Amino acid sequence: MTAAVGERRFNAVARSRVLLALFIAVVLQLSLGAGVRIFGVHPDLLLLVAVAGGLVGGDERGAMVGFVAGLMADLFLQAPFGLSAMSFTIIGFAAGIFSGTILRASWPLVMAGAAVASAAGEILYALLGAGLGQSQMLSDHLGPIVGVVAVLNGILALLVVPVMRWAIFPDTEGRAGRAGRAGRRRW
Amino acid sequence: MAVRRPTRPRFVLLLLVLTAGTIITLGYRTQANGYVGKLKGYASDVFTPVQTGVLDVFRPVGNFFKGAFEYGSLRRQNAALKAELGAARRAGVTAADQQRELQTLTQLEKLPFAPSLHQIAAEVVDTGFGNYQLTLELNRGTSAGVQVGMPVTSGEGLVGRVVQSNRSTSTVLLVTDPSSSIGVRDGSVIGVAAGQGLGQALRVDYIFPPAKVKKHDVMVTSGLQGGLFPPGIPVGRISRVSDHTGDLQEDIEIQPVVDVNSLEFVDVLVWEPPSTVPGSG
Repeated sequence: MTAAVGERRFNAVARSRVLLALFIAVVLQLSLGAGVRIFGVHPDLLLLVAVAGGLVGGDERGAMVGFVAGLMADLFLQAPFGLSAMSFTIIGFAAGIFSGTILRASWPLVMAGAAVASAAGEILYALLGAGLGQSQMLSDHLGPIVGVVAVLNGILALLVVPVMRWAIFPDTEGRAGRAGRAGRRRW
Repeated sequence: MAVRRPTRPRFVLLLLVLTAGTIITLGYRTQANGYVGKLKGYASDVFTPVQTGVLDVFRPVGNFFKGAFEYGSLRRQNAALKAELGAARRAGVTAADQQRELQTLTQLEKLPFAPSLHQIAAEVVDTGFGNYQLTLELNRGTSAGVQVGMPVTSGEGLVGRVVQSNRSTSTVLLVTDPSSSIGVRDGSVIGVAAGQGLGQALRVDYIFPPAKVKKHDVMVTSGLQGGLFPPGIPVGRISRVSDHTGDLQEDIEIQPVVDVNSLEFVDVLVWEPPSTVPGSG
């Protein structure tokens, strides 16, 4: 029982690595925001970190990573402070529910999972924002946002998911060994 | 035997969602001047130097995507610009006389337009963090005198207004953002221009028929909207006027005079809106 609870928590190394990953994600988001815009939309890296945190680490870790990632996103947005934290927490948790399935899946399914979760995250963010009086978030622009973010985050998941595995499981050898013994992980 | 799902993750989820809800509530109560504004300021101060360095590395990547996905519109823009250049050359002959006339009128009527206001030049360093707000990041903040609420203009007209001012950076909400609304006028016709999103025209509300406006007229800030903007700043050119008999208001759209996608430098107008609180003097 103790071991099970311990596996759900972050140790000090994992905490440091997750924070480092989030810091890098913020810097890249700030930089990519100025550059990579497709149909006026850019990838949502912090949402992807929350999703990847859930896919890799499970529901509880996903919620924690999502909460911190959302708070960091809120620092740079002109939306109600805490809105991203709330929506990313829920999405990180939801992505974590499928962690077991995804961990044993091939990489196209990982990309598809990240894309679907990112799309759901954008819709949830807009719905919660509209509930808080930001009705303009449910404009015609929501469709392109959901579509572009889903596609870009799905592609970028190939980079971010391994980074989050490195961050959440510092003892990667042990984990890879377990997965290897199971003979199921193919990405 | 049924496998019980552990309750701890759900407890953690509930705790974090409640915490986020509390943060949202506190943020609403304290607004921009409270802890949220300070936190955003600190974050900006920490990340801006790193961002600036990384931006230089990623700019070619951004230009590649921009060129690839906007090739068609860039070609059309190039053709339109060539046509405009020809017209501008012809108009330039009479521009000097009109400029002298404008200066005389401004002095006579004491219009509080941009020439009479102090301006802070700023460079656009970013086009905003999120996908839901249309904002620009400037490299000038409170240390240069930029304050929340100040209008931002370019050579052509109104860009937006400052909604967040940190020590060395500030955030501008663009006129095209769906949450932006600006009091505008065309002659004696007064309305409110509302943003409709990136690349979209502004919808002008509260103009009742019959209105004496016509296509291609330039609408300027009215200065009435509680003084949020000084009067006379060009906002947009009327691109659509639909007069449907029996409608309660005219169906009017204006195309922003400023191309917000290609801004490099802007001016922040040192303009303090007069207080709209009754009895405050």
